[in-house]
Amino acid sequence: MTAALETLPPPTTVAAPASWRRALRRVLRNPLSAGGLVVVVVTLAAAALADLLAPYPYDLTNFDATLQPPSLAHWFGTDELGRDQLSRVLHGLRVSVAVGVLSVGLSLLIGVPLGLLAGFYRLLDPVISRLTDTLLAFPFLVLAVGLAAILGPSLTTATIALGIGGVPLIIRVARSETLRLRELDFVAAAVADGAGDLQLMRRHILPNAVNALLVQATVSVPAAIIGEAVLSFLGLGVRPPIPSLGVMIASAQPLFRDGPWLAVIPGLAIVLLTLALNLFGDGLRDALDPRESR
Amino acid sequence: MTANTGTLLAVRDLTVRFRTEDGTVLAVDQVCFEVAERELVALVGESGCGKSVTAMALTGLLPASATVSGEIGFAGQDLRRRSERRLRAIRGRDIAYVFQEPMTSLNPVLTVGHQIGEVLRRHQRMRGAAVRRRATELMELVGIPLPARRLREYPHQLSGGMRQRVMIAMALACTPKLLVADEPTTALDVTVQAGILDVLRTLSAETGTAVLLITHDLGVVADLADRVVVMYAGRVIEEADVVDLFARPGHPYTRGLLDAVPNPARHASGGPDPAAGQGLREIPGRVPVLADSPDACTFAERCTRTDDTCRTRRPELSAGPAGHPVRCWHPLAVPASSLAGGGAR
Repeated sequence: MTAALETLPPPTTVAAPASWRRALRRVLRNPLSAGGLVVVVVTLAAAALADLLAPYPYDLTNFDATLQPPSLAHWFGTDELGRDQLSRVLHGLRVSVAVGVLSVGLSLLIGVPLGLLAGFYRLLDPVISRLTDTLLAFPFLVLAVGLAAILGPSLTTATIALGIGGVPLIIRVARSETLRLRELDFVAAAVADGAGDLQLMRRHILPNAVNALLVQATVSVPAAIIGEAVLSFLGLGVRPPIPSLGVMIASAQPLFRDGPWLAVIPGLAIVLLTLALNLFGDGLRDALDPRESR
Repeated sequence: MTANTGTLLAVRDLTVRFRTEDGTVLAVDQVCFEVAERELVALVGESGCGKSVTAMALTGLLPASATVSGEIGFAGQDLRRRSERRLRAIRGRDIAYVFQEPMTSLNPVLTVGHQIGEVLRRHQRMRGAAVRRRATELMELVGIPLPARRLREYPHQLSGGMRQRVMIAMALACTPKLLVADEPTTALDVTVQAGILDVLRTLSAETGTAVLLITHDLGVVADLADRVVVMYAGRVIEEADVVDLFARPGHPYTRGLLDAVPNPARHASGGPDPAAGQGLREIPGRVPVLADSPDACTFAERCTRTDDTCRTRRPELSAGPAGHPVRCWHPLAVPASSLAGGGAR
């Protein structure tokens, strides 16, 4: 009985943020997703404040202190050129997070409209869905290599390649949400009120699909971060001396015996951030699930 | 039955078929009826007899699997010949709908005020403060307390009855000529129902909006309607003034519907046990699903008065013993008591 009372929606207060605040509260109640959120926030803050937090410039060489293991002066050690690993990880994190977020943003920008159209218009669906399948079947690395050949390897190239690579997944989520939502009563009611297709998609379907897309995005960002690491490792992304987590692992490879921390620490950073984003995404999905909000 | 000056809606020979996986289904079979300006007409029948399909067909709201034929005359134009764009402008402005499910008919992520405002912005080109003022006014009109505050709330913060009032407010936003209310109270508690019916009655009287009320609840019909059109298996089988219909039903199906309504007065006079004698009677069987329009009475399988004629020849809608149109080979005689001018309801 008390449980039933607790799950009742809170009495009418300020409306709009209520559901969001409730979702946040529910994310924090789950220790795993709460931990994920904390790690994500701390990591984002560290990446954003890299210039302030980093004890040394990321490209400052010091040939008197090469390949130092972690110490008080250099928490994460130094590389073969004597550059401070902590400073490089912080800056690398910034690059990785930026590539991850921007590429997922690009995927959303392309994928959401296409997914909405595919779900809304029966005639367009086969066209867009086949396009999606083709893109999925096309090896992602070949796409990235091709783009790098055209645009030259750079951070922008990596972001665009990752963004395009992520489009099919976003199309699928947006399409399936549209298919589900357009059958609902309130959409039918809006049609009966004279709403046009564009209004239906913009006002009624998209806002209700945001939850699913948001959750998908939290899963896509770590995938893109790992993707960037792969591309940079292969020399298709960021070029040295700009550090990204992937570049750092790549350049640490020949030194693994002399300085294993050079590969392990950025690797751990990727693992930790990915894990945190996934845990937070899982928690967010549960928190936004309407069946649980009953 | 001819189109006079006061006719707002004239449906003629409306036929709707659906393509399904098991062949075509005939949902509406040559339905004709009219709604005059300011009139409250009830479309009655049990589930699956084509009421809602008829209502949806009026403004072309049926899915692509439906084939529609016939004429839908509305305010001097044939809606069947109007383009989707023109129909869109008519929906919500000239013909507005209120649906059965207030719990799911509002968008959960937009505020109530936003949703009412959307109709105003779309059809009246209203903007800014005018929208807010008119929305508040509408909320007040449909009897929602603290309208200014409620406008900022989301659908999940309102009860079912309040949500249905919001739906009515949205429907009335542009003072439509015709309001189609499809089972507006079915999903609501009885006590809430009465309030909603009150709102519908007063508002249609105040704004001069004609109402096409779709329901299977004869209590609602008696409460609200001027005239009743009874449908069965896609056909109109009887049409009469509400008093006339309740006092002198001509079709056995109509009689059956009336008998299936719990009536405390009848139970009281019928003795202590409602199962005995004058108790609640149901019509055995269910509405048939038809692939084609049979040359027979569609009610024959469930009727007590069926003979060979009913099974082999199609009855037409013609004046029955009580004077109003009935589609039956053996319409019921007018009960003596009602000739004496007495027992209407």
